[in-house]
Amino acid sequence: MRQIDVTLLADDNSHSITFNAMASPCEVIVQSSDKKLADELGCVIANEVWRIEDKYSRYNQSGICYLINANAGQPTNIDQETFQLLTFAQQCFELSDGLFDITSGVLRKVWHFDGSSNLPSKKQVNKLMKAVGWKKLSFDQHQILLNSDMEVDFGGIGKEYAVDRCILLARSLTDMPVLVNLGGDLAVTSPRHNNQPWHVAIEHPDIDSTNINSPSKNNKDMIISLLNGALATSGDARKFLMNKGLRYSHILNAKTGWPIKQAPRSITVVAPQCIQAGILATLALLQGKKAEQFLKDQEIKFWSRR
Amino acid sequence: MTDKKEKINIKAALTLATTALLGCTASQVQAQEADEWAFDAALLYYSEVDRVSAAETIFNANKTFANDEVLNLKLTIDTLTGASANGAVAQPSIQTFTRPSGNGQYQTPAGDTPLDDTFRDTRVQFNAQWTQPIASNYTGSIGAHFSKEFDYLSLGVNSNLAFDFNKKNSTFSLGFSYFQDTLTPKGGIPNPFTSMLVGDSARSEDDDDDDFINIDDGWDDSFALTRLGKDDTKTTADILLGFTQVINRQMIMQFNYSYSVVDGYLNDPFKIVSIVDAGGITQDNIYESRPDTRIKQSAYMQSMYHFDSTILDVSYRYMWDDWNINSHTIDSRFRIPLSEGSYIQPHFRYYQQSAADFYQPFIMDNDMPSEFVSADYRIGEMTALTIGLKYGMLINDGNELSFRLEYYRQTPTDAGFTEPGVLQDVELYPTIDAIIGQVTYSF
Repeated sequence: MRQIDVTLLADDNSHSITFNAMASPCEVIVQSSDKKLADELGCVIANEVWRIEDKYSRYNQSGICYLINANAGQPTNIDQETFQLLTFAQQCFELSDGLFDITSGVLRKVWHFDGSSNLPSKKQVNKLMKAVGWKKLSFDQHQILLNSDMEVDFGGIGKEYAVDRCILLARSLTDMPVLVNLGGDLAVTSPRHNNQPWHVAIEHPDIDSTNINSPSKNNKDMIISLLNGALATSGDARKFLMNKGLRYSHILNAKTGWPIKQAPRSITVVAPQCIQAGILATLALLQGKKAEQFLKDQEIKFWSRR
Repeated sequence: MTDKKEKINIKAALTLATTALLGCTASQVQAQEADEWAFDAALLYYSEVDRVSAAETIFNANKTFANDEVLNLKLTIDTLTGASANGAVAQPSIQTFTRPSGNGQYQTPAGDTPLDDTFRDTRVQFNAQWTQPIASNYTGSIGAHFSKEFDYLSLGVNSNLAFDFNKKNSTFSLGFSYFQDTLTPKGGIPNPFTSMLVGDSARSEDDDDDDFINIDDGWDDSFALTRLGKDDTKTTADILLGFTQVINRQMIMQFNYSYSVVDGYLNDPFKIVSIVDAGGITQDNIYESRPDTRIKQSAYMQSMYHFDSTILDVSYRYMWDDWNINSHTIDSRFRIPLSEGSYIQPHFRYYQQSAADFYQPFIMDNDMPSEFVSADYRIGEMTALTIGLKYGMLINDGNELSFRLEYYRQTPTDAGFTEPGVLQDVELYPTIDAIIGQVTYSF
C-alpha cells in the first residue's frame, strides 16, 4: 500500500515527508513551516518516484522495462523518456569501455550474493554471457530491439534518475530548500536558509578523497555537510560470496561475467547531479583495486568502504 | 598522461550526458566532512653564509565544524643565532664596537663588514583564526596574534568580511588588522645621533649585578647618557581590500590593495651609522634615526591557472611608502604532478627595492644629516632572488610529506653614493647568500 506521511520536525521550521519506494525508505525534507506546501511536495515527489518505479521495474508487468524484456526478439515501441535513458546507458557503456552494461542483469540468474560459497561454474556463466552485450541491442527514438534471450535492467540508474527528477520538480514548486533522499541516494535543491549546509550521515567510510592510502579505523558513521549537489552510493557491503577464502564482490564485470576483483564494498560520491554521482561510484567500483585512484585522478570527492 | 586525460574526459562526458538526460545545466557541488581536524607540522631551517641562522618549528591545526565554521590555530617557535650587520662601514683597520647591552665589546677584522654576533633569540608565536558564514553569501573571520621574544612583544587582532556574488564566481573582501609591539632591548633604547661609546667596560661587565664591589669608572653612567629609556612601542593599523574572480574553469585571479599606518618607535636599536672623513676613515659611529611614522601601500595581483594536470601560480606586488621605498616582487610557482600523488614544484621569486630617502651607507663628517639617517641595508637599494624546488609525496598512511629547498641571494646595490678614500677599497654592499630547507608533514 502506498502511503505518504508528512510531519513537522522538532526544529519547527522543516517538514519531513516519508514514503516507501524502490524497496527503500524515502524521505523529503523541506525547510518551511508551511504544511500545505509540504503536503503538495510530498504528493508530487512520491508520485514521481512511484511512476518511475512502475515504469522501469523489471517486475511490473505494465511497465515498459518488463514489456521490452518480454518482447525480446521483436521490436518494442518506446517513449521519449525511455529513449533518453537508453541513450544515457549507451554513453555509460562507452565511457566505461564496456564494463558498465545494462544488459548484464541476466547474470543474476547464476550469481546469488548471499554470503554463501556457491560460485557458478564457468560453463553456466559462459552460457549466460551469450545474452549479455549492449552491442547486440539496437534502438532509436521510437523502438528498441533485443535478441530473444536478452534483458535490460535500469536498476543501476533508476533510483538516481528519480532523485534528479524529484529535485527538478521540487525546484519548480518552491524556492524553499528541499532535500530528496531515496534510500541513501540524495540531492538538495539549494543550501538551507542563510546558506547553511544540509547534514547527511553515511555509513562509516574507510577511505576518502583526501586520504586514499590510509584506511581509517574509525567505525563511526560520518556526517557530511552538503551545500549543493548530490550524493550517491554504489555497492552493498552485505552482498558478497566467500569461496576458498576469497571474497567475491557483487560487482560483475559485464565483459567476463565474473566479479570485479578487489573492489571496495561501497563507494559514496559527490557530484552536481545524483545520476552522475551514481555512475561515477559504479564506474569506480568497476576499477577494482584502483577504484579510489580513479576518482582521485578526476578530483572527485568520495568516501569508500573496503 | 594519456591515461589521465581519458579519465578526465569521463567526468566531462558524463556531465554532458546528464545534461541531455535531465535537460538542465549542472550546479555546483559543495560537500565536505564535518568535524575533522587537519594538522600540518613543519621544520624550517634558514642559514645565511657567515651570518644569521634560524630554525623554525610550525604546528598548524585546522578544524571544520558542521556549519562550515573553521578554526585555525598556528604555533610557531623559532630560534635565531648568528651575526647581523650593525650598519657601520668596513675599514682598513680593526674596529671595536660596544655590544647593544653596553656589556662588553666585539671586534671586526680589517676589511670585513662589521657584524654584531650577539643575535640569539627564541620567538614563540601563536595565531588563532575563526571563520564562519554569517549570512547568505557573507563570510566573517576574526583572529588574534601573540608573539614573544626575549626583547619583543607583539599583540594583534584582525577581522575580515567576504561577500560572494555573481554565483560565487566573484568575492569582495574587506579586512582590518591592528598590532601593538613593545621593544625592550637589553641595554635600553639608544638615543638617535648619539655616539656609540667604546670604552673599557670589562670591569663594569663584572660589576653588572654587584654594586658592592663596584669600582666606578663612570662607564655605566656614561653609557646611560646614550639611552632614552628601557622600552618603546609601535602600532600598526592595516586596511585590506580584496577582490577574487573566477575567470573560467581553469583560471582564478585575485587583486589586493592594502593601506598600512605604522606609528611609534621605528628605529632598529641595534643599528649604527659610521661618520667618515674625506679619507674614508671612521671618526665616529652614531645610533640611527628614523621617522616615527610610516605609511605603506601595496597593490597585489595573483593569477592561478590550472592546465590539464599542472598548476601555474604567478603573482606581482608593488609596494610604496612615504619613506620613498618602492619595491616590486614577482613570485611564481609551477606544480607538476608525478605518479601516485607526488609532485614537484619549482619556485622563482625576484625582488627589487629602492632606498629610503634617509638611507645612506655612511655619513661624511662635513655633511651631517639634520633629521633622519640609517645605514641598515634592509632599507637600502637591493635586489633579491629566490630559486627553489619543493617535492611532495604521499607516504604509506596517505599523509603528505614535503621537502622544500631554496637558495636565496640578496644583492644590495649602490644607489650612487660617492665613496671617499679607503671606502673605495672595501666592500660596502656585501651580498648575502642563504639556504632555506623545510620539511612539512600533513596529517
